[in-house]
Amino acid sequence: MSTISAAGFHNRHVLDLDDFSREEIEEVLETTESMKEILAREIKQVPTLRGKTVVNMFFEESTRTRISFELAARALSANVINFTAKGSSVEKGESLLDTVRTLQALGADMIVIRHSQAGAPHFVARNFKGSVINAGDGRHAHPTQALLDLFTIREKLGGLTKLKVVIVGDLLHSRVARSNLWGLTKMGAKVTLCAPPTLLGPSQFWQATWPNVELSYNLDTALKGADVIMALRLQKERQLTGLLPSLREYQTFFAITMERLALAKKDVLVLHPGPMNEGVEIMPEVINSKHSLIEAQVTNGVAVRMALLYRLVNAGQPA
Amino acid sequence: MRYLIKNGSIIDPAQRVAMLGDVLIENGKVVQLFDIAESALEREALGQAPDVEIIHARGCIVSPGFTDLHTHLREPGQEQKETIATGTMAAVRGGFTCVCAMPNTEPPLDNAATVRQVRQIAWQEGHVQVEVVGAITQGRQGRNLSEMAELVEAGCVAFSDDGSSVADPAILRNAMAYASMLKVPIMCHCEDTQLNKGWAMHEGAISTRLGLPGYPAAAEEAHIARDLTLAELTGVHLHICHVSTAGGVALIRNARQRGVHVTAEVAPHHLTLTDRWVLGSLANYNELSAAEIAHQASSGQAKRRKKKVDRDSVRIPFWLNPKLLPPYDTRTRVNPPLRTEEDIEALIEGLCDGTIDAIATDHAPHTLVDKECEYGFAACGISGLETALGLVLMLAHCNALDLMNVVAKLTEGPAAVLGRNPSSLRPGSRADIVIFDPDRPWIVETAHFASKGKNNPLQGQQLKGQVMLTMSGGSIVYRHDEFGKVANPVQPSKLNDILPKD
Repeated sequence: MSTISAAGFHNRHVLDLDDFSREEIEEVLETTESMKEILAREIKQVPTLRGKTVVNMFFEESTRTRISFELAARALSANVINFTAKGSSVEKGESLLDTVRTLQALGADMIVIRHSQAGAPHFVARNFKGSVINAGDGRHAHPTQALLDLFTIREKLGGLTKLKVVIVGDLLHSRVARSNLWGLTKMGAKVTLCAPPTLLGPSQFWQATWPNVELSYNLDTALKGADVIMALRLQKERQLTGLLPSLREYQTFFAITMERLALAKKDVLVLHPGPMNEGVEIMPEVINSKHSLIEAQVTNGVAVRMALLYRLVNAGQPA
Repeated sequence: MRYLIKNGSIIDPAQRVAMLGDVLIENGKVVQLFDIAESALEREALGQAPDVEIIHARGCIVSPGFTDLHTHLREPGQEQKETIATGTMAAVRGGFTCVCAMPNTEPPLDNAATVRQVRQIAWQEGHVQVEVVGAITQGRQGRNLSEMAELVEAGCVAFSDDGSSVADPAILRNAMAYASMLKVPIMCHCEDTQLNKGWAMHEGAISTRLGLPGYPAAAEEAHIARDLTLAELTGVHLHICHVSTAGGVALIRNARQRGVHVTAEVAPHHLTLTDRWVLGSLANYNELSAAEIAHQASSGQAKRRKKKVDRDSVRIPFWLNPKLLPPYDTRTRVNPPLRTEEDIEALIEGLCDGTIDAIATDHAPHTLVDKECEYGFAACGISGLETALGLVLMLAHCNALDLMNVVAKLTEGPAAVLGRNPSSLRPGSRADIVIFDPDRPWIVETAHFASKGKNNPLQGQQLKGQVMLTMSGGSIVYRHDEFGKVANPVQPSKLNDILPKD
């Protein structure tokens, strides 16, 4: 196997934010603003990706991410194919490699992949001549979600530098948190991770990669001075695997409630990547309060994904 | 036919011999060693005798052939991965003249008939001696003991359910007690499969970053501790397979000190590669670009960042470069997983103080299909027979281990685990000999492996030290293409400390 030319590879794919510079992130966020303008028009479509084929390859359930990618690609006039593991030859035992080769032979230009296994998008990228966008892989990364979170916060507060962001919930299994750690720290925000130890792991595991991140088991203390709270989805199965005594206890100590919001800054913002377990990690009153940016996140998701598709199609052209 | 290996640097750990000289071989046995400083006339005469083939070994080490305690030959049942013929050819290219075949074949080696079949095939098609390790339990299911006494009669030299651990401690206790009657070791693969459920790599900072489920060191250590206790209870000879963690080494050391009959092996990849290899080229992004450093300096973080870089710097100066691999390369997936630098240091310490007896390859060949998939779905294992020597010699080149010790852990160490006389160059011994050039640089090209398994993460890396000739029972079973063609007048650099001056 040949050595990877890091620069060329990185311009061709969006696999995580680890290889994005601060400038590149800012560039994407600025393009997102233009894309948002397009989406506000009467006719929400431009011809940027006309004649290109984007394949949504989803090996895991997804509603918002898949629809969001589909809308984004259509707004740029691409042909969109939706591929789900169910009802495809994957069920007959076709390997990921074969699937990718087949899509390539059929003329796919871009693959958007969601997969239960961390690293699957890297594997696809190595075996596909076009571009690959990671729409979530295992616990590893969800870069488009992180970018839309960054965009949403910046849109509201004007910037990200020096903001205190508390990410609370199932960090151990969260790809959203990992991509946000790259994005937020590169943009100069201060991040605190908050969860019980079973959903967090030792601090040195995180600090080896993100040296300035802080960890806390106490949400009430962690929230002091917070500008932004990101709540993560708690999968209900976690209790069954012994990571939590009960959802009730989790909710008592780690749920985002109106009372807890009072511990943070007055105008603290609340984000959630969805889908939510209302009443478990976040209370309905919080979702419906002025603090919540959850709907804006979903709306901005389409524009961010348009910006990334645009970036990749341009990277594919000779300079 | 007689062979005279001339002017080699002879290392024979069993005799505590390190000298420049010749080895005379006749009728499959070592006849005599000649010190270069003595018996000049006799050596001269031999050199001119018509029935003597001269092997010029100047600049090379001549040592007893290596014994591998842990080889997966895959036959019967998985011949697409390896056969006894290809596996033993890989062995001779790695300098091994004896390999112990692990029983996780299909069907497993849990009955005398299959064991006899394997030994028969090895006799007909094998290039070196093949010893057979029988399964501890029937079908390697961990439930009922295999017919161990009959298996020993059929030629098994040890028992192992390798690839799996015997989860039920009561079954393992019985197996140990039973095996103690037969005077053969129980080789334990130590893995608590509850503690590492769903694992893909070592649990630590890298697994956290890559989002791969972790295999904590404790999942290996808890099992080692349990098995040591049971060995103490039953008095069996317990051999710990492929120990990979610092905590594991400490447990074994402690048990040895209180008199438990325990031996241990370590794999070359666990001595030299770390979990950073799973990062592959992503390791690049830990090093900041100039622009980022400038940015961080302005925000006052530069100092803290510098500390981190220092901590991450490799203490043992290995020259291998994990960045040649892409991230999540499945060739780095192995069980137990690649651990950390702290573990490497402890494993080397264990080799030096005798806690670990042997270096064993855990050669685990797989097909491309087994490996060309998602990281977490990939088969575990490294096809390691052909890179073992080059890897462990790196420890000698870095002064982490002396050459005598490296050779000892590949020869007398494993022989002692099997309860045999150490393979040696003593007159009268079977002529199982390896000649290797410890300084010769070469690039690993897995496509050229004799093994069917091309799954080795060292593809494209430079190793220093290569096998030039392997002799099994007095016959040359492998000779490197270039051996003997280019004069190599230089004495190996590492020998300076070992050989007596003048």
